[in-house]
Amino acid sequence: MNNHHNNNVVKKAKECYFCINNLEPDYKDTKSLRRFINFYQKIIGAGRTGTCVWHQRKLTLAIKRSRKMALLAFTHK
Amino acid sequence: MSKTKPSGLAHYEILFVVSNRFTEDEAKTSIAKVEKLITEGEGKITLNEYWGKKRLAYPIKHEAYGYYQLFEFDLERKDLARLDEKLRLDHEILRFIIVTKKLKSDEQLAKEQKIKEKIGKKQAEQEKKSQEEKTKKEAKPKKDAKPKADIESLDEKLEGILNADDLL
Repeated sequence: MNNHHNNNVVKKAKECYFCINNLEPDYKDTKSLRRFINFYQKIIGAGRTGTCVWHQRKLTLAIKRSRKMALLAFTHK
Repeated sequence: MSKTKPSGLAHYEILFVVSNRFTEDEAKTSIAKVEKLITEGEGKITLNEYWGKKRLAYPIKHEAYGYYQLFEFDLERKDLARLDEKLRLDHEILRFIIVTKKLKSDEQLAKEQKIKEKIGKKQAEQEKKSQEEKTKKEAKPKKDAKPKADIESLDEKLEGILNADDLL
């Protein structure tokens, strides 16, 4: 029996980072905002990060505020 | 500024960047100016956090660094527009942002505490489970080892029986 190829991988249900940790997105907290931004400084969709709809809306606002204050960049160099 | 609450005190938060053209002492005087602007009327500063000189994520007006200052304050709602205007016309300040902040009531704080406790309990349970699984995994090889030993002993017994067959 060769079980090297396991096609029945069970997909893990992703959970919202803010719901689990009882946090709210904050534009000053760049450390936790960075995990929702890709290399090109673009906001990653909720489908990939597992953020719930309610928090994703707050998150996008927080990231945009953070960009305005030059805490995060608009684009990569 | 909501239309339903035109007057009264509200809680705000301001973060602003002072230009790097100035030395740190000069920047602190301009920070004091902003503080004066807030406290002119009935404003009251409740939190004062100086972040110091920080590198900007992108250059603003050809400057790579800036002095960050954070205030939390209570202010009359109608005075906010005046403060906003004055900060906008200030050349020493590169960027600023004023955000309304909701003060948490005692009920909310109690709720949050409960949630935190729940999270703590869940994490403890998860740790327990993972530890149990670990111990199980460690125990399993031993179980596997026992049958092997049994097989060996069985082999010996079989041989003994086979040898004994000759006697029958």
